[in-house]
Amino acid sequence: MSTLRIKGGRVFDPANGINGTVQDVAVRDGRIAAIDPRERVDEEIDASGCIVMAGGIDLHSHIGGGKVNLARLLLPELQRQQTLRSSAVELPSCGGCAPGTLATGYRYAEMGYTSAFEPAMVGANARQAHLEMGDVPILDHGAYVMLGNDELMLQWLAEGADPQQVRDYVGWTIHATKAIGVKVVNPAGISAFKFNQRKLDVDEPHVHWQITPRQVIAALARAVHELGLAHPLHIHASNLGAAGNIASTLATIAALDGLRGHLTHVQFHSYGSEGPKKFSSAALALAEAVNAHPNVSIDVGQILFGQTVTASGDTMRQHANAGYASPRKWVGADIEANAGCGVLPFRYREQSYVNALQWSIGLELFLLVNDPWRIVLTTDHPNGAPFTSYPHLIRLLMDKPFRDEQLARLHPEVAAQSALREIKRELTLSEIAIMTRAAPAKLLGLADRGQLGVGAAADVAVYREQADAEAMFSSPLLVLKDGEPVVRQGRVIATPVGGVHFAQVAFDSQIEDRIARATHDHPLGVHRRYAVIGHDELCACCNSGRLLPSAFEAQAL
Amino acid sequence: MAAMNPSSSAAAGQSMAWTCPFCCLLCDDLQVRMLAIPGALCLAGGECRDAAEALAAWGDAGAPLPELPARIGASAASIDDAVQAAAERLSRWRQPLFGGLGTDVAGARALYRLAARTGAICDHAAGRSLMHAVRALQDRGAFTTTLIELRSRADLIVCAGTAPDGALPGLWRRLGRDGPGPADRRIVYLHATPIHGTEATNIRQGADLLASLQMLAAAVQRPGDALLPALQGTPLAELATALRAARYAVFVWEAAALPDEPSDAGALVVETIHRIVNHLNLHTRAAMFGLGGADGAFAVNQTFTWLAGVPLRSRIAADVLQHDPWRFDAQRLIERGAVDGLLWISSFRADQPPPASDLPKIVLGPLAMAPAVEADAIFIPVATPGIDAPGHLFRTDSVVAVPLEPLFASELPGVDAVIARIHQAMK
Repeated sequence: MSTLRIKGGRVFDPANGINGTVQDVAVRDGRIAAIDPRERVDEEIDASGCIVMAGGIDLHSHIGGGKVNLARLLLPELQRQQTLRSSAVELPSCGGCAPGTLATGYRYAEMGYTSAFEPAMVGANARQAHLEMGDVPILDHGAYVMLGNDELMLQWLAEGADPQQVRDYVGWTIHATKAIGVKVVNPAGISAFKFNQRKLDVDEPHVHWQITPRQVIAALARAVHELGLAHPLHIHASNLGAAGNIASTLATIAALDGLRGHLTHVQFHSYGSEGPKKFSSAALALAEAVNAHPNVSIDVGQILFGQTVTASGDTMRQHANAGYASPRKWVGADIEANAGCGVLPFRYREQSYVNALQWSIGLELFLLVNDPWRIVLTTDHPNGAPFTSYPHLIRLLMDKPFRDEQLARLHPEVAAQSALREIKRELTLSEIAIMTRAAPAKLLGLADRGQLGVGAAADVAVYREQADAEAMFSSPLLVLKDGEPVVRQGRVIATPVGGVHFAQVAFDSQIEDRIARATHDHPLGVHRRYAVIGHDELCACCNSGRLLPSAFEAQAL
Repeated sequence: MAAMNPSSSAAAGQSMAWTCPFCCLLCDDLQVRMLAIPGALCLAGGECRDAAEALAAWGDAGAPLPELPARIGASAASIDDAVQAAAERLSRWRQPLFGGLGTDVAGARALYRLAARTGAICDHAAGRSLMHAVRALQDRGAFTTTLIELRSRADLIVCAGTAPDGALPGLWRRLGRDGPGPADRRIVYLHATPIHGTEATNIRQGADLLASLQMLAAAVQRPGDALLPALQGTPLAELATALRAARYAVFVWEAAALPDEPSDAGALVVETIHRIVNHLNLHTRAAMFGLGGADGAFAVNQTFTWLAGVPLRSRIAADVLQHDPWRFDAQRLIERGAVDGLLWISSFRADQPPPASDLPKIVLGPLAMAPAVEADAIFIPVATPGIDAPGHLFRTDSVVAVPLEPLFASELPGVDAVIARIHQAMK
């Protein structure tokens, strides 16, 4: 039995209504515990002058799976530039925009994050995703499996399949790939690109299957609802990055027809086509739609300036943008009648009108959405910026003068016209704790994470309070993972293996035979006897990390 | 890696489903029968010549292990003693080379940690052909496809410098296995002769594969260009027209068949294919499909890439991580005396002992490799994923990680376990 007390810090635990109260946080055997202040503990941490939060949770970060590894493979010239900090506990691993899995775990922990979720797991590539995430030290992890571009589902929808059949198919896919959620990327569009279609609007039919993105979204949102998953359908909407795509994004919200949906990296989907450059901010329109639709949650996908690499399942849109690659090279793939991918290096420049506006749009969204429980802080790592830029992003959100200073450096037209100039809001520490901890935990159904109530897992971050939020969130005094100190004074001191979150859902198992018949006994690219990743295999893939299943009960529409 | 799906051992005479670990296709639709006498493994159904041969070479499956199965120099030794001797030998090397690298994901994970401990340079036995593709990707990118897309979509397949029915007999079977693809599919060969293929066209118009591909690229990119009169009406011009008209054109190429000399040629072939594919994708759909990655090449390269952030042909050390597809060529390092010891791993192939050299060696391979290993080496026998151990390998398209199960129980440890024990013994 081990005990620990974090003494005298200002605690921000919005899930339990605690907003900056000075109080102790005690830990017994990896869990938050009520320990009498007079009781001796194994270790007492003096947290006076510090703030205390639950460990950070990133619900959308490309940390594992084929396309991330392609990004690493593609960019040795960038990878080589990233110097290593040797330490007794860290193994060598490159940092930068496509860090190795080892560096991913170390750098996240050094910011006080203790969980991250891969948002774009290809069903046929699920084993690789789990193998890679298993090699991300310290962090708990999980993944959303991509559906809605698999030929089987599109065919069944085209044939007018019963919603129950779709639900069972989605349920089986979650079960087979050990996913915690379901994502749709450019609904039907990745498949359409394989049939040489170059654009697909929400109500435009797929050239071969003659079904629309609206139908795909409706079918998947219903299946996710009926399976009872905690995480709403995770949606990368149509027409990513295209001027005027706000119309698609609003149509996507409408397609949900009141069912829950999580629109991801909305910064890339909030573009108008006004002005002399036919490219404008539609952040206000999107924020108003989010404010008006309690069934919708979002994450932002903020861009920050500098070199990064975009890694997406959206082959159609990545191909369209291939000319912007910097350095000038990219990788695309059509995958197993199931998915696609595109990996495109990119440098966001302050003096680019478009990039400067993208920066502004992301920040506008953060500041215009009223309910912090429905907006999550992300950069869509590495697409908008590497996750290591979170402390900088937090300062932009909390510090109006700093934000204005940055804005003044940008393309002059954006600097002069951005709606950001008039937005006075500065996010509070409590709101940051919601957007980086409590809200993602709630949106993923992680009852014992993202909060510091008695019985919760002791994932805890302690930061020295200071005026410069970037400095504060860059280097925590202490980080606990399940009660074990993993970071002290901003440096990794231990590298335990993280656990894997996955959903257990109920579905009619007869669907398995039907899927096997339709795929010539090879669902998800392998023989049916291997289509389902079993618990033992998942454990082996994840380096013997803990299995963290969440059971969900089916519910009627 | 621990046992996965409910695993069973083959009883004599019984057939069991098998995933073959011996080529880059990792076919999972095969059946194996264990013969009662003399305990040999046999491919039931005989769908694949190469798999049948590889299995037949396995010999006496499940025979009891000799009391001293390992070797320290000329003396037979226990695995424990050989591990201890290997740890001592390895700790004396100032610049170790980890070569061969014929192992699975679990083996690669263990090797990475040991490399970080010892500052080893790591290269695969097929590093030269592996690096042709890696370098082409690093220079220009790629647009790739996978087995099911190739099967269900490709109406024009161009086999560039390879005839898969010779090199990989399973490929055409896999393409036909699950029902027919497009009815109008056409297969064209560039600088390759198929064993069977009455309808196939074989084009050898340029001096070599690269020259023909460059001409083809010109014809695809600039049809009817007055600068290219020499191409008008030739088979390559006709192929260029067919490529532009195809719904989904796929170029199949094979890493092992790429030219090694001059040193740029292999990567240039892949790059030229990519250039053609990229151009076609402006108006129609096209992709490339590479064959390669057997003997764990893709499994180890993928694993090292995700752990390190850079692929193989790297030096993994606590203070510095260096990647150089030229400088860290194992064969050249050995020839130039740039390393002072070789840890050689080949768990899939008994017929692939380390290259002969004066270097001190530690060798991990199947038991049957022992006679081929030089007398002064330390030899530690290991289990083979898919034969007597579980594991994960990556298929030729680098997308699907295929699980392998043992055909029979073995007393031999896997590469991962032996490497972890050597690492432990060095601490």
